[in-house]
Amino acid sequence: MNQTSHSATRPVDLSVCDREPIHIVGSVQPHGFLLTLALPDLTVVQASENAPSSASPGASLDGAFPELAVLVRRYLDGEAPQDGATYLRTVTLGSGSSRQGYEVAAHRVDDLVVLELEETDNLSGDAGLDALTPRLRAFVEHLHAARSVEDLCQLLAEDIRYVTGFDRALVYRFDRDWHGTVLAEDGSGILPSYLDLRFPASDIPAQARELYRRNRLRIIPDAGYRPVPIHPSATPAGKPLDLSQSVLRSVSPVHVEYMRNMGTMASMSVSILVDGALWGLVSCHNRDPKRVPLQARNACDFLTQIFALQLAARERGAQAEQRLALGAVQARLLAYMAEEESFVDGLLNHPDDVLALVNASGAAVVTAEKCRLLGATPSEREVRALSDWLAARDEEEVFVAEALSEVFPPAEAFADRASGVLAISVSKKYASYVLWFRPEVVRTVKWGGNPVKAVRPDPSGGPDRLHPRKSFEIWKETVKGRSLPWTLPEVEAAKDLRASVLGIVLRRAEELAAISEELQRSNKELEAFSYSVSHDLRAPFRHIVGYSNLLKTREGANLSEKGRHYVETIIEAAFSAGTLVDNLLSFSQMGRHALNKVTGDLNALVEEVRRKVQRDITPDRTVRWEIGDLGRVHADPVMLRLVIENLLSNAVKYSRGKPVAVVEIGRAPPQDGEAVFYVRDNGAGFDMAYVDKLFGVFQRLHRVEEFEGTGIGLANVRRIVERHGGRTWAEGRLGEGATFYFTLPIREEAH
Amino acid sequence: MAKLKPILLVEDNPNDVELTLAALESSQLANEIVICRDGAEALDFIYRRGTHEKRQAQDPAVVLLDLKLPKVDGLEVLAKIKGDPATRSVPVVMLTSSREETDVVRSYNLGVNAFVVKPVAFDEFFAAIKEIGVFWALLNEPPPHRGGWPSNA
Repeated sequence: MNQTSHSATRPVDLSVCDREPIHIVGSVQPHGFLLTLALPDLTVVQASENAPSSASPGASLDGAFPELAVLVRRYLDGEAPQDGATYLRTVTLGSGSSRQGYEVAAHRVDDLVVLELEETDNLSGDAGLDALTPRLRAFVEHLHAARSVEDLCQLLAEDIRYVTGFDRALVYRFDRDWHGTVLAEDGSGILPSYLDLRFPASDIPAQARELYRRNRLRIIPDAGYRPVPIHPSATPAGKPLDLSQSVLRSVSPVHVEYMRNMGTMASMSVSILVDGALWGLVSCHNRDPKRVPLQARNACDFLTQIFALQLAARERGAQAEQRLALGAVQARLLAYMAEEESFVDGLLNHPDDVLALVNASGAAVVTAEKCRLLGATPSEREVRALSDWLAARDEEEVFVAEALSEVFPPAEAFADRASGVLAISVSKKYASYVLWFRPEVVRTVKWGGNPVKAVRPDPSGGPDRLHPRKSFEIWKETVKGRSLPWTLPEVEAAKDLRASVLGIVLRRAEELAAISEELQRSNKELEAFSYSVSHDLRAPFRHIVGYSNLLKTREGANLSEKGRHYVETIIEAAFSAGTLVDNLLSFSQMGRHALNKVTGDLNALVEEVRRKVQRDITPDRTVRWEIGDLGRVHADPVMLRLVIENLLSNAVKYSRGKPVAVVEIGRAPPQDGEAVFYVRDNGAGFDMAYVDKLFGVFQRLHRVEEFEGTGIGLANVRRIVERHGGRTWAEGRLGEGATFYFTLPIREEAH
Repeated sequence: MAKLKPILLVEDNPNDVELTLAALESSQLANEIVICRDGAEALDFIYRRGTHEKRQAQDPAVVLLDLKLPKVDGLEVLAKIKGDPATRSVPVVMLTSSREETDVVRSYNLGVNAFVVKPVAFDEFFAAIKEIGVFWALLNEPPPHRGGWPSNA
C-alpha cells in the first residue's frame, strides 16, 4: 500500500478521531497472527487472516498446534490472569523455509482466550532480560541520584533508547488539560529534536489516552502496514473482539497518518502511570520500520514502572517540600499581620513573601476603601472590576482560575499579567479580597530546543496538520489566556492565609463587639438614669420653687425682711438646680437622638432664632444684628437650631455691658472641604488662656453673678457640630468680644 | 343654668396637687376641680364607676393628666379615653415632669390635646396652669353632642 495514495484518497479527518472506536478495530498488524480460543476445549473461534490455515475458525488448537495448546493450558492453570497480555514463551512453528519464530502472548477477554504470536528473529528468547540486568541496576541507582524530574526523564529516555535501539526516545508529560510537553529526549540525530515542544490535547484523543492507561505498551513496527482483518468479525457472543490488551492490535489510521507525517515508520510508546493515572508517555520513533523483541519491550515497561514509582515518590516529596516552604512563608506573613494594626499593612509591607506564598508574579489587596497592588498586576481599575465581579458571584471563599478570561471576559485585556488568578475573600461584608496573579503561560515557556528547527516539510505532501509546528501553534492557541496551574499546596497556602486573616479580623471584630456591647449597656443605663432624673429630681426642685413662691406671695407679710431674703435665695437656688437638670437632660438627649439631616436655608433658620432671642432682650438694651449671606447647609435642623440658639443667646448675654451690642453672623471662606460659620459679639470676651475650657460641660469662665448659666450651652454646640462631622473653636479677648466658629461638611446637595 | 363641667386633675404627688390647685385657684375658674390620685381612680371617675358611680353624668371640661401614675399610668388612661368613642372628645392635657421625647411622641400618637412640661420656674408654672384652665374650661368649644345625654350647660 502506497503512503501517498493513502493520504490522498483518505484525507485525515481529525474531527472523527475522538469518536473512533479504536479498541475494536477488528484487525491486527501483520507482524504476527491472532487466534481467539473458546474454553474449555480451546477451539479456534476467530483468527486473523494471516493465521496458518490449520488454525482456521472451528479448528481445535490441540489438533493444529499441540505445543501451543500445552502453553495455553499451563497459562490458564496458573495464577489469576494479570491485566494485559502475558508472555508465555518463544516458539518455532512450521518447517523449512516457512520456519518462523514467534513470541507467544495470551490474555483473557470475557470467557475467551486471545492468543497472539508475534514474529521474532530472536529464538533464544530468555536471554533478553538477563542481559539487561546490569543496565536495570544502574538505572535504578541513577534514578536515586537524579536531582530533578527532568533529570529522571532524561535517564529514562536514554535507557529506553539503549534497550530498544530506536532513533529517538522522548519523555512526554501531560498537564492537567492533557496538553503535552516533551521533558526529555535521547536520540541518534537521525530524527529532529522535539525537546521542549508542546502538543495540544487533541494530538492524543481521550479514548487513546484511556487505552494507553489500560495497555501500557504499544508498538507499530511498520507504519506502512496493511491491517489484517480478524474472521469472523464477531465473537461467539456476537460482539466485536475487544483488542485493548492486544499486542498486535491494529492502530487508528489517523495515528498511522500522524507517524508518516512525522517521518517515522516505527514507533513504540510506553505509558507512565502515576497512582493509576496517565502522567505521560515514553514515545520512541524510528525513521525506518523496526521491530522490538518482546523481551526488550518488557524491559522498557519495567524501566518505566520503576521510573513511575520514583516519580510518584518525588512528586509527593516535592509537594511536601513546597508545602513546607509555603508554610514558612505563611508563618512569616502571619507574624507580620499580627504585628500591624491592620492585616493589610502586614501584607503590603512584605510584598516578596506575599508573592512567594503562591508563586505569583503579582498580587493585590482590595478593601472597601483601597486597592493596593504588588508586582505585575492589571491596573487598579481592572483589579477593582475583577473584585467586584468576584463579590457579585458570592460563591466561594477561594477562587482559582487558570484561564480567567474564560469566566471573566474583560480579563482578556490583561492576560499578559493575569491569566491566572487565585483570590481569597477576607470579608464578605466589605467585599475585601487578596488576589494573586500569574501571566499567560505562553510567556513562561522556556525553550531548550528551537521549535523552528523541528519543522520539516510533510514527507508525504499530505495534510500538513500534525507537524510539530502545527501542533505548537494549536497548542499556543489552546493555552492562550491560560496561566500555569495553581498547585494544590499553593491553593492550600492561600486558604490557610485566609483562615489566618479571618482569625485576626474576627478577633478584632470580637473586641470591637465587646466594646460596643459595653457602650450599648452604659447608654441604656444613661437613658434610664436621665429618665428617672427627669421625673424624680426635677419634681422636688419644682416643688421647692413653687412652695417658696407661695410662701413669698401668700405669707410674705408675716416674714421679716431677712426671712423674705432667705425665701428669695431658696427660690433662686432651687430654680438654678432645676434648670441645671433640664440642661443636663437636653445634653444627654442630644447625644442619643439620631441625626436627621436635610438641606435648608441657614439664613432662614438664623432669622427665626434671632427673633426668639430678641424677645428675651430687655427693652433697655440695644442690639445690632449684622447677618451675612449664610447659604444652604445640610444638617439636622432641630439640632442646628440649638447650636444657633446657644451661640446667639450667648452673644446677646455676654454683650449686655455694652451700650450698643453688635452681634455678627457670617460665613467665612471654606476650609478643608468644610463650610465655616461664625458668630461674633463685642461683649465681655474671654481670656484665650482658658479657650480649651470653653466647650467643656459645666465649664464656665464667668461668675454666676456676672452672667447666669450652667455651662452646658457650648458643650451642646460642640457636641452637635461634631456629630455633624464639623469642628468648633473660639477666639476672643477679655473685654473685646468673642468669635465662635463652627464648620459643617460641604455636600454637593447643599449648593 | 346647668352646672359647669368639672376639671379632672389626675396627680399622685400631693405637692403637685397643692401647687396646681393654687395655680387654678388664682385663675378664678368656677369649675369644680376633681382630684384623682391614680389612673384607676381617674377611669372610675370618667366612667362613673366605684366611688364615682353616683356622680352626675357629665364629661370633664378637661383632664389634666400626670404621666407617671400608680396602678394605671397616664399613657394608659390617655389611651383608654382616646380609644373610646364615648370619651374621645374629652380634652386631655398631659401635665408632666418628663422631657422624654418618646413620651411626647407616644402621647400625641394616642391623641393627646396638649403636652405640657411643668416648668421649674413658679411664675411660668402658674401661668401655664392658669392658661390651660382658662383655655380648656372656658374658651374651648367642644364638638356638638351626638345623641345620649346632654353633657354641657
